[in-house]
Amino acid sequence: MVSRYEIGFILSPEANEEDSKKVLDAVAQIIKKAKGTVEKIDDWGRKPMAYPINKFKEGGYVFLTTETDGATVLAVEKRLRQMEKVLRFLSLRLDERLKKSNKLTKRWTKIDALRRRNQELRGEREGEAPEAGTEPAPAKETAHAE
Amino acid sequence: MLNRPAGGDSRPPKKYYSARKKYCHFCKDRVNLVDYKNYKNLENYIAETGKILPARVSGTCAYHQKQLSKAIKRARHMALIKYIVNKRG
Repeated sequence: MVSRYEIGFILSPEANEEDSKKVLDAVAQIIKKAKGTVEKIDDWGRKPMAYPINKFKEGGYVFLTTETDGATVLAVEKRLRQMEKVLRFLSLRLDERLKKSNKLTKRWTKIDALRRRNQELRGEREGEAPEAGTEPAPAKETAHAE
Repeated sequence: MLNRPAGGDSRPPKKYYSARKKYCHFCKDRVNLVDYKNYKNLENYIAETGKILPARVSGTCAYHQKQLSKAIKRARHMALIKYIVNKRG
């Protein structure tokens, strides 16, 4: 089953550009072999870490999103574990979360539409009989909606 | 203690609540997925000691609090957020 994954790893500060390229190539090769695709590579560069790992205080952060099956990701994890230049990694499946979030987006668009309609209705009513007391509260609400 | 007469002047005022209502900031910003990579935002939801703030303090809704706590744990694993903050060191 093909799904979308996000794999992030931290490279040791000792790793030069060649090393980081090697790691990325190795990961990409495993994915390509399994007929998956690497969609996006997000390289943050060297960044101080919140706490030292293996006595290193900074590390190179790289995140990539791919579309492959679970077995390939396991293979990638195995490969990353073997590499000394990789301090830490984390792989996540995004599909299920995206599905859930789509549901949420639908609900939000519904709520936003309702709010807009209410606002219009309120605007019409206020146009007929303007009241100073009721004005500020609804205005705040619409600010949240947008 | 319980038998103290009600409405005495010497009595300290009852618990004081702030008038502002809490709301879920993620719902307001229409955040679909709480991402652990966005660690600067996550730092708003951890206490000084590094603990995850409970939803009743931050006002986050259940859906987002669940994601938030997971995201913070992931960010900790990737050394984006500290596990504990030692005030002495």
